Amino acid sequence: MFESLQKEEITHTQLVRYAGASGDFNQIHTVVPYGEAAGLGGVIAHGMLIMGFVGQAIGQWFEAKDLRKFTARFKAMTRPGEKITVHGRIVDEKDDCWICEAEAINEDEEVKVKAFFEIKK
Amino acid sequence: MSTELEEKVGMKIESYTFRVEKGKIRELALAIGDLKEEYMNGEAVPPTFPTVIDFWGGGSSSSELLNLNMKKVLHGEQEYEYFREIIPDEEITVHGVIEKAYTKASINFFVLRKDYLNEQGETVLISRSTIIERH
Repeated sequence: MFESLQKEEITHTQLVRYAGASGDFNQIHTVVPYGEAAGLGGVIAHGMLIMGFVGQAIGQWFEAKDLRKFTARFKAMTRPGEKITVHGRIVDEKDDCWICEAEAINEDEEVKVKAFFEIKK
Repeated sequence: MSTELEEKVGMKIESYTFRVEKGKIRELALAIGDLKEEYMNGEAVPPTFPTVIDFWGGGSSSSELLNLNMKKVLHGEQEYEYFREIIPDEEITVHGVIEKAYTKASINFFVLRKDYLNEQGETVLISRSTIIERH
């Protein structure tokens, strides 16, 4: 088990900032009335932001440049106000790499992202 | 599977190029809150940087190609296979193709595969994005 990465609370401002940085301007992430009209009850975070948190954790656990494969399944929507923690562990190995898994969860332990990654030894 | 969906398989998105700008590396890292020095000075890219290449290099061509209703679109899964490091200032060219299209529980799923090539024509990365369209 690696040392968990605890992120600060997600804010609307962070989503606006992530929209600009990534170029994903789908308004379900930034415009509350649009998110409501889309039936989402407000805005939701970009899944790629949460995958980015997992990427940050991987960079804390290993050298990110040693990543060979990184998969994220988006399991639940994340909203402003939620606090995400990333946990991870090695589950197996090949001759040349470690096989690991990680989850991004909120304070109620709802899994937002389930991730798998392989990293060069 | 509906014929309409089946016809999407093999469709190619318009290729695009993006020069890996140090400022965009830093901007993405700041938005994530991943403040590693090598990201801040633009010497290395975070693992999810390819999303910047997609949106800033290619716009929304995949959603246009699939004729998706953006109010109903969600990202189901994202996979990256890394073959070489993405080097700041190099130009990356991306070719994309719809690899799979299917319906499950009346939700449409599309798998978009993208190959990222450096200026030498070497594959640096392969990405597979599962796009979900709710009804």
